[in-house]
Amino acid sequence: MGMDRREFIKSCSLVAVMGLLYGCRKSAVLGDIASQLSVPELKRFEDEVRLAMSQAKKTLDLVKVPTPCALKIPGASTLNRFGMAIDLDACDGCGKCILACNLENNVPLVPDEDAARGRFMHWVELRGNAPFMCAHCGNAPCERVCPTGAANHTPDGLSAMMYKRCTGSRFCGANCPVQARKFNFNDAQKLGLARQFNREVPLRDKGVMEKCSLCLHRLQNDRLAFKTKLSVAATPEDAEWRGRGVKTACAEACPHKAIVFGNWLDEKSPLVQQTKDRILYAPRELAALDPSVVFMRGSR
Amino acid sequence: MFRYLMLAGLALFLPGLYALGYSVYQGPSAWMVDSQTFWGTPISLFVFWIGLAHAGTLLSAIFLALGIKLDRRTALIAELSTLVCLVFAAIFPLMHLGVVKNFYMVVPLLDARGGMANVCSPLVWDFCCIAVYALLSLFFFAIHLKSREIPLLEKYRKPMAWLLFPLVLWVHTIVSLDFATTFVPQWRGAFFPLYFIAGAILSGLALVNLLLCTEGYRVRLLERLMLVGSWFMIGFWLWEFLTKGTFCTSAFIFAGVLPQLRIVSFVREHRTGRIFLSLSVLLGLFLERYFLVSPTQGSSSAAPFGWVDMGLVALSVGGFMLLFFGARRKLSLSMESEGTYFGEVDGSDMAMVEEAAREAEALSREKKRGIDLSYIQPWSSDEYKVLHLPLLVGFAAALVFSLWVSAQLPFAASPYENIEVAFANIVPLFYPIAALIAAGELLLAILHHLRQSPDSAHVTFARRISTIFAAILVVFAAVAGTFYAGGASRASAESVEASPLNVENPIEKYIREMSNESAESLPATMDSAEIKLLWNARCAKCHGVDGRFNEKFVREYYPVPQKLDAARIDSLGLDSLEKVVLDGRVNMSAFRGRLTEAEIRGLVAYMRHMAGDLSSSSAGDSAAVDSSAVDSAAAGEAP
Repeated sequence: MGMDRREFIKSCSLVAVMGLLYGCRKSAVLGDIASQLSVPELKRFEDEVRLAMSQAKKTLDLVKVPTPCALKIPGASTLNRFGMAIDLDACDGCGKCILACNLENNVPLVPDEDAARGRFMHWVELRGNAPFMCAHCGNAPCERVCPTGAANHTPDGLSAMMYKRCTGSRFCGANCPVQARKFNFNDAQKLGLARQFNREVPLRDKGVMEKCSLCLHRLQNDRLAFKTKLSVAATPEDAEWRGRGVKTACAEACPHKAIVFGNWLDEKSPLVQQTKDRILYAPRELAALDPSVVFMRGSR
Repeated sequence: MFRYLMLAGLALFLPGLYALGYSVYQGPSAWMVDSQTFWGTPISLFVFWIGLAHAGTLLSAIFLALGIKLDRRTALIAELSTLVCLVFAAIFPLMHLGVVKNFYMVVPLLDARGGMANVCSPLVWDFCCIAVYALLSLFFFAIHLKSREIPLLEKYRKPMAWLLFPLVLWVHTIVSLDFATTFVPQWRGAFFPLYFIAGAILSGLALVNLLLCTEGYRVRLLERLMLVGSWFMIGFWLWEFLTKGTFCTSAFIFAGVLPQLRIVSFVREHRTGRIFLSLSVLLGLFLERYFLVSPTQGSSSAAPFGWVDMGLVALSVGGFMLLFFGARRKLSLSMESEGTYFGEVDGSDMAMVEEAAREAEALSREKKRGIDLSYIQPWSSDEYKVLHLPLLVGFAAALVFSLWVSAQLPFAASPYENIEVAFANIVPLFYPIAALIAAGELLLAILHHLRQSPDSAHVTFARRISTIFAAILVVFAAVAGTFYAGGASRASAESVEASPLNVENPIEKYIREMSNESAESLPATMDSAEIKLLWNARCAKCHGVDGRFNEKFVREYYPVPQKLDAARIDSLGLDSLEKVVLDGRVNMSAFRGRLTEAEIRGLVAYMRHMAGDLSSSSAGDSAAVDSSAVDSAAAGEAP
């Protein structure tokens, strides 16, 4: 087959023009189609939580830990370290916190084959019949191995995720001793498995890691409101934001008030007050990593 | 022969290519992933191929550095196999990423937003070490290949070998640290670097022995080394079994027990037997890597080993055969007649050559007895003379880089606050950087020497190489510049809305109340103190309290916003600024619905006011725009 230079250049430019035309098309068309895909019913989320609860691990190996104190990371705040305590005496493992978390944080459903393998995206899951989530370790092993710095620690003690910076190497997941991190194996939006119940939390793309954020957006809202309201009248001790009055979605949903959210460094925080004379526990694997989310049981 | 092997490789490679395409499209759920480590097949294959990639440098460079004789043909084959293996060792970690297009975030270079890879992560060490190793191996191979035409290059081979010697051990140590620094119980152990190096050397030896079988000769030294390597591995497996209780039986049989058949002369003396021994070791070590990377395989939470996994294996095996034998054939065909270019051994048994060499050596040793000529002071050796300046510069550069990187770590109040901690975490990058710089200097030295040489062919060769390298540098600079600049990110307003649908946002409520109040108590609406509070709450996070941008926050999360200086604000006009606040712009979020018109006007006026403060040079300008202007601008909204 012969092709002279003229023909070659002609076909090359044709291809280039087609490419340009393709690039100029209105991408909104594709976006519209994607968004028109059916959003899943609320009932499917409820069913999935029930399924996950039936597959949950029955045991949780706990050891005693001291009360969390200020972080030792350079640059960390000396006023705030947010965390939670889960009251094992009050919790009856009803699982309402899981659904509340899923709706608050737009946690997507998983396809059936993943569900069969127990690969749920739930940030909160049941272990030993109690809610279990990322402990926001002060000395977090996941953050240390993240190659891009997407997993980082905020000065307020949250182990945070920058989804846009995540390259999906899954090293953090491999290095979490309790497997609290969930990987987006599927494009939930394309598969019609995601639903944005809460417009304040973005839907995550395929290929990034996610996990409990301690309802970071609620904390940020409160911080903003605090700063906006802050007037000259404020007393010096109230001049700093301590995150008072914020509750995570799971804590809000708990019918037995078994999940207590608060600021470990604030004497007025319900967390400090309610854990004052309780014995604190953490999963054995995490005990040495300075967890911010702990369990409490019995009284001192 | 090579052509048939190439075709066989192609037959494996094409279906493998399909599997690769599918798994990149589908993401990590396509292959076998176990729920504990999330990695699965690609990382097993990566560890396997990076192990094989050690053969070339190990045999060629370390033997050369230590003065062990290896003929040119064997050494070149080993070096070529290294390069081809590295191609596949690079493909797998890239394709296993969840977001492949973000891979460049692993490179430890700063971008314009101050984004920087986490240099404490073994993955970053990995990336750098392997990249440097690939470059230096290519350089070493090229020197060796050309050294027959240009004898001058021979002088630089031994210094390069000394540069590569630590690097080859370094690379596999780093790969083992990917595993050994984690909390996965099966991966823990201080012996991991040695264990990985031993495994890599054994698999590399098996590969070279296998390739020599296709060349039609054998090197007994390498076969014996393979046998010894398998003993080492048996030791490590037993150690692992005793400390952790895990044992991979199939790996033990294939790479531990079967290689011992070499003591049977029937197996050893037949080519089929030797092929069998090498293949058995390779298979055993692949199974071992597979077992190691996926500790919970076979449990119900792991996906089964499916066709994609097979496809990935086929891709690497077929691709290796295609590339290696393709290159081998090309080199024989294009340069000189087959066999002779790669070395003088043309298919005859190496045993005779080895025997002759041994006799010659024994003879010379007897001659030298009495006068100790064999020992040369290290500081007066030729290699040292060539290498000492480049290495010095290399180490200095590595030191500077390490200090700079330590200053980039997040959360340090002053840049060098945690320097010792940071430095300890960067040590793994130290040698690769030094070696890279030193090799670059050697290249410059070679080019300089070639230009000085009387042979005009050498001068043109040097000129050609310099041009190629200049072009590569320009391309690299362009790519690095693109990464540095970064792309515009999507405005957050597209994916997130500040107010939830069901509950009223407390801020919004507050703002609504505030604006209602202001609507009632007419013109004085927003006083400057209120606007200032509003600015501090809503805008200062990025734009800074004083209108310069807030560097600390911005460089962590977003692209750099516009500097709000007077000239810029005036050129845009207040109206269009209000529009920007309402509807957002590239990376600025839209505030429609979150701020009232009055507030936006107030903010824009405040912005102008601050810009006036900033430009201290234009005194008259700043006098005109003072706080009263803020009030009047805000009041103008409600006449």
